[in-house]
Amino acid sequence: MSAYWNDVFGGAKSLAIGLSITAREFFKPVITMQYPWEVPEIPERYRGHIELVKNEKTGKPKCICCGMCMRSCPSGCISLVGKKPEGEKKKVLTKYELDFTKCSLCGSCIESCNFGAIRFSKDYNLASTRKEDYVFDLLKRLEEQG
Amino acid sequence: MDTSIWRPIIYLVCFMAFAGLNAAYLGWCERKGAGRIQRRTGPMEVGFHGLLQPLADGLKLMTKQLLVPEGVDQILFRIAPILAMIPALTSMVVIPFSDNIQGRAVELSVLMLFALASIGMIAILIGGWASANKYAVISAARAVSQNLAYEIPMLLTVITIVMITGSMNLQDIAMDQQGGFWHWNIFRFDKSIFMPVSFLIFFICSVAETNRAPFDMAEAESELIAGFMTEYGSMGFGLFMMGEYLNIVVGACLTTILFLGGWSCPFGLFPGVWWFLIKIYILIFTFIWVRWTYPRTQVYKLLNLSWKILIPFSMVNLLVTAAFIKVF
Amino acid sequence: MQEFICQTSANPSLFSAEGFVGLIFLVTIGLIVAGALVATCARRLVRSVAGLALCFTGVAGMYYFLLAPFVAMMQMLIYVGAVAILIAFAIMMATPEEGDLPGRRISALAGPLGFATGALLFAALTVLAIRTPWQVFPREGSADMKHIGTVLLTSHSMVFELISIVLLIAIIGALVLARRGRN
Repeated sequence: MSAYWNDVFGGAKSLAIGLSITAREFFKPVITMQYPWEVPEIPERYRGHIELVKNEKTGKPKCICCGMCMRSCPSGCISLVGKKPEGEKKKVLTKYELDFTKCSLCGSCIESCNFGAIRFSKDYNLASTRKEDYVFDLLKRLEEQG
Repeated sequence: MDTSIWRPIIYLVCFMAFAGLNAAYLGWCERKGAGRIQRRTGPMEVGFHGLLQPLADGLKLMTKQLLVPEGVDQILFRIAPILAMIPALTSMVVIPFSDNIQGRAVELSVLMLFALASIGMIAILIGGWASANKYAVISAARAVSQNLAYEIPMLLTVITIVMITGSMNLQDIAMDQQGGFWHWNIFRFDKSIFMPVSFLIFFICSVAETNRAPFDMAEAESELIAGFMTEYGSMGFGLFMMGEYLNIVVGACLTTILFLGGWSCPFGLFPGVWWFLIKIYILIFTFIWVRWTYPRTQVYKLLNLSWKILIPFSMVNLLVTAAFIKVF
Repeated sequence: MQEFICQTSANPSLFSAEGFVGLIFLVTIGLIVAGALVATCARRLVRSVAGLALCFTGVAGMYYFLLAPFVAMMQMLIYVGAVAILIAFAIMMATPEEGDLPGRRISALAGPLGFATGALLFAALTVLAIRTPWQVFPREGSADMKHIGTVLLTSHSMVFELISIVLLIAIIGALVLARRGRN
């Protein structure tokens, strides 16, 4: 019989405790982030797809078209073309394509670059229904960023 | 003659509007309440703080195709959602919101509410069965056995109140508790020392009768998908949903009238219908609060609670009240 | 309501209160007949139960017209809310499959004979109803609960006792049946 009463009173007590906990939570501030309206700060070491780095003085990409990144990529997702314009010594980057569908964000390309010409971007909100949208023209992207 | 025609029409429009608004906006309240308790914001996008969300949901439900799956019982499948809605709406007629706001003063209004609730039970059973879906059938059986089990302590508690007041008229019961909270049935220690317990029993039963968490065995998502509503889409589902929320309103109204003095003010200030509304919304908030606090129970624990705890307790309370009334 | 019913025979318009009450009366009768027909004719047992519930609802309406709202409510609460549902439960437990009941050949005579019996009963009752000189008795007391309670515990206490015994037997029977399953 005492087990019965223990069950009743113990149960009632634990129910009351439960209610008091949720009542306290009710008045605490919201901890979720209203995503599209509030954007979280992206951490320093976040790995988005790679992007080209601009030379601040000239406004041109730092890339010298050595092709190390292309060679170091295990999945072969980078393809770049450099041309030597008339009367210049150095090659100029004319096309830098990243096939992001294959990229595993390993970072070998960035490690292999001796000139700091590529880095991870902070782009995280990517969405598309077409595969072709993930072949990025990074040179164009750099120009668009201004 | 003029007034006798217009009065019902005005009441009908007002009660329909009240019922419809409640059915729509309690969904919003529930989502907001759930959000706050889990420290989220709840709906925020449609309108200011998501206030237009119910309208958007309603539009969506109404414009969706009314799918009737193959193999269901065509007639019963269509009737069930309507049957779920009608008793809840009809119950509003006999509920006295204030001493002069009541659709129809029926002498046996308490009994009438329970008689109408039994139609709701039939609706669940028919809907679950007509769906020709095993989850729906299991859910309907569970819901109905639960409703039957919890109707007994509920009725026993109501009999206690009826004995104290000597009337089955909700108006009389509320009138009997006017003037200060110490006249409310919940604190009537001169009639029975167990009245607060009785109130608790009644509240627990009304949570169980409306099939809400922690007693939502009928729509235990993890086991039964959506229970008896599994095969319903569009407005069929909408009607079940509205019926459910209306049942909550009716349950809160009934609890308020039976135990919390109806429209009477706790301290005799500003008497009026707003006290009734404040009380029912506090109770409805408690419904939401309870739902987002407790996990779902199991079927046999649920039935054990009713048969082993609630029914004996309400029985004892009935006897004690009878003794008190006889002695004093 | 009393006066409404008395005046229904005076052929009132549908839009007057009396006419509307008359219409509801006809609807109630319709519910009873339709419910009974569904209950007997439906092939699916669930539909039969639904028809039965409909019929019970109509009967409750009938009680209401007979100025016995308490009985009407009890009819709803007990017959619709409990009996119909218990029958539905019983069907749920008994027949796993819907559709025609197998086995048991029904004799060709069963239909006509059943119909004849029904028709005979109906005819007899109709004749009886028409022949009987109906007279309106003055109402004894009211059909409200206080009166019912007083009567049940004073002049009709035998009924009360008998109901108690029936219920007691039912409870014991249920216990015996339920216990047999356990070992």
